[in-house]
Amino acid sequence: MAIASVQEEPFIVELEGVAKEYVSGPEIVHALIDVDLGIRQGELVAIVGASGSGKSTLMNLLGCLDRPTRGTYRLAGVDVTSRSSDERALVRNRLIGFVFQGFNLLARTTALENVELPLVYRGIGRRERRQRAERALEQVGLADRAGHTPSQLSGGQQQRVAIARALVTEPPLLLADEPTGNLDTRTSTEILAILQRLVFELGITLALVTHEPDIAECATRIVTVKDGRIDSDFRNPRVRDVRTKEA
Amino acid sequence: MSAILSALRVALVALVRSPLRSLLTVLGILVGIAAVVVVTSLGEGASSRIGGSIESLGSNVVYVFDTPRARSGVKRARGSAAGLTDADAEAVRRDALDVANVSVFTSNTSQVTTSFANAKTQIVGTDLFYFPVRGFELATGRLWTSTEERAKARVCLIGPTASTNLFGNADPVGRTLRIGKHPYTVIGTLVSKGQSPFGDDQDDRIMMPVGTWRGHVQPTLGNRVHMIMASATGFERADQAVAEIESIIRQRHRIRDGADADFVVRSQEQFRTTQERILKVLSVLLLSVAAVALFVGGVGVMNIMLVTVTERRREIGIRMALGAQPRDIALQFLVEAVTLTALGGALGLFVAGSLIAVARFGLGWSLRLGPAAIVLAVGTSLFVGLVFGFLPARRAAHVEPMEALRHE
Repeated sequence: MAIASVQEEPFIVELEGVAKEYVSGPEIVHALIDVDLGIRQGELVAIVGASGSGKSTLMNLLGCLDRPTRGTYRLAGVDVTSRSSDERALVRNRLIGFVFQGFNLLARTTALENVELPLVYRGIGRRERRQRAERALEQVGLADRAGHTPSQLSGGQQQRVAIARALVTEPPLLLADEPTGNLDTRTSTEILAILQRLVFELGITLALVTHEPDIAECATRIVTVKDGRIDSDFRNPRVRDVRTKEA
Repeated sequence: MSAILSALRVALVALVRSPLRSLLTVLGILVGIAAVVVVTSLGEGASSRIGGSIESLGSNVVYVFDTPRARSGVKRARGSAAGLTDADAEAVRRDALDVANVSVFTSNTSQVTTSFANAKTQIVGTDLFYFPVRGFELATGRLWTSTEERAKARVCLIGPTASTNLFGNADPVGRTLRIGKHPYTVIGTLVSKGQSPFGDDQDDRIMMPVGTWRGHVQPTLGNRVHMIMASATGFERADQAVAEIESIIRQRHRIRDGADADFVVRSQEQFRTTQERILKVLSVLLLSVAAVALFVGGVGVMNIMLVTVTERRREIGIRMALGAQPRDIALQFLVEAVTLTALGGALGLFVAGSLIAVARFGLGWSLRLGPAAIVLAVGTSLFVGLVFGFLPARRAAHVEPMEALRHE
C-alpha cells in the first residue's frame, strides 16, 4: 500500500550520466560508467553487487564524499555535482545521514554526544542539540543508554546510536553501507526492523548497500551494480517485512 | 566561539587521556618559557635595582681603586708609587676643582665578639667625609670627633644588621665589642642603607676612623687605603671630576703619558653602564637558550600533533562525513596544539616562579615575577602553538573522509 504511492513522490536522488574514473598507476580505472539512477522519497533501495562492482564508488558519490568525473547529481532538488569540499561538507550535514558498517562512533564519547555531533557542525545551541539527540535516541529505543560510551554498548546498540546520529538532522536521504555487516543474524534483523520502520512509517528515503541477498529482500527496490554499470533495477515484489509487532 | 570551546574540550580530553605523553611533549616549551620569564624578571628587577641603588651609594660618587700589578719581571718596592694613600686623597681634595668631598676607605672582614654573640662582619676604616660622600647617616649616638680620629681612639659606629647580630635587640650605644684582641666602644648606630648594587648588605658593618683601623684592626705600611671616594660637585660634573682625579694621581704616582696607571677611576654612571652591559649580555644569552628551547619544543609539539592526526584519521573522517568542514577540523587541531603549548607555558611559568622565589628568599636577590613576564609567557606559548600547530592542522583539514573511513 505504501509502496504503491511511491510513484508519485518527488525524486530525492537524481543521477544522470554519472561516470567516475580513477587513475591507478598507468591505467585509468572506470569505476562507474554512465549511471542513471533516480530514487524517490520513501523508497528503500538496496544497492547490491560483488566487491569491485562499483557499488562503493556509487555510495561515495551518493554520500557527497566524492565527486563524479562526468554527469550530474541532484540531491533533494539541489545540484551538488561539483561543489567545493566546504560545500560538500554542508550538503552532508544538511541532506544526508550516514550509517556505516563499522558504526564509526567516536570512542570515549557518550551515545548522546555522538548523536549531537552533526548538530554541533550545524551550529545549533547546546540545549536544542541535547533535546533533539535525546529524541533521536528514543526513536531507536536507546534513551536509557544516553550516557554510555561505545565500549559499554553491544554492536547492535552501537549501530542504533549510529542510526540515531544519522536521523538527528532529519535529512532527506539516509545512506547505509552494509549496516549489518558486523552483526549477528538476530541483531541484524533488529537493525533492519528499525530501518524499515523509518522508511515505511516515517517516510524516510533510504539507500542501503549490501551484498547479502536476504537483506536486499527487505528493500522495496533492488539495484544491482556490475562492472561499473547498473545491471538490473527492479521493484521487489515480495518485501520481507521484519518489523515485529511489539515496540 | 562555541566551536573553539568544543574544540578546547576535545583537546583537554585528549590531553588528560595521555598525560605522560603530553608532559614530555611540552618539556621544551616549559624550558623556553621558564627562560623567557626569568630573563624578563631579571631585566625588570635589575633596572629598578640599579636605578634605586644609585641613590643608596650616594649621588655623583667617583671611585678610585688600587690596581696592584703583579706583572712578571718588574717588582716595585713596597710602599713606593704603587698604592693609594691618604696623601693622594689629600691632593685630590686640594687640587680637583669639580670635587666636593673626598674620603678614604679601607675594609676587611673580621670576627667580632661581644658578651652576647660572636659574628663575622665587615670592618670599615674611613674618615668623616665618608658620610656625605656615600650618604650614610647616623641613627643614634654620635660620630667620632677629629680629635678621636687623630688619636686613633678605639671607637666605632655600627650598622643595623651587625648590631642585631652582635647585640640582639639591645641598644649597642655605649657597649663594647672586641675585634681581635682590642676592645672598641660603640658610640653610634647607622641608618639602614639596604643592599648595594653589588648585592652585599650595607648594614652589616662596623665603621671606625681609618687611623684606628690601621693601628689596631689591620696594621698597614704607610698610609695606604683600599679606595678613595669623591663626590663630584654635580651630576653633570662627574666626568670632569674623573678626569681631574686621574690627572692629579697620575702626576703624584709619576706615571708617564700613555703608560698604564696603577689605579682606576670610575664614576657611578660608569658602574651603571658596566652593570647594564653585563645584564644585557646575560639576557641575550638566556634569550638565545629560550629561543632554541622554544624552537625545539615547538618542533616536538608539531611532531606529536602530526602523529595525532595520523592516529585519528578515522575520527577526522567521521567528523567530516557528519558535516565538519575542513576549517572546523583545522581549528580543532590548532586548538589542541595551542592547548599543549599553553600547558608548557603554564608549567614553565610555575618553574620560573619557583626559581625566582628561591633567588628572592633563598639568595636575597631582588627578583620578582612581574605582570610583563606573565603576559610575555602566555603570549609566547600561544604564539608557538599557533606557529607549530599550523602544519598538522592543515594536514588534518586535508584528510579525505572517504579514505579515512575505509581504513579500519
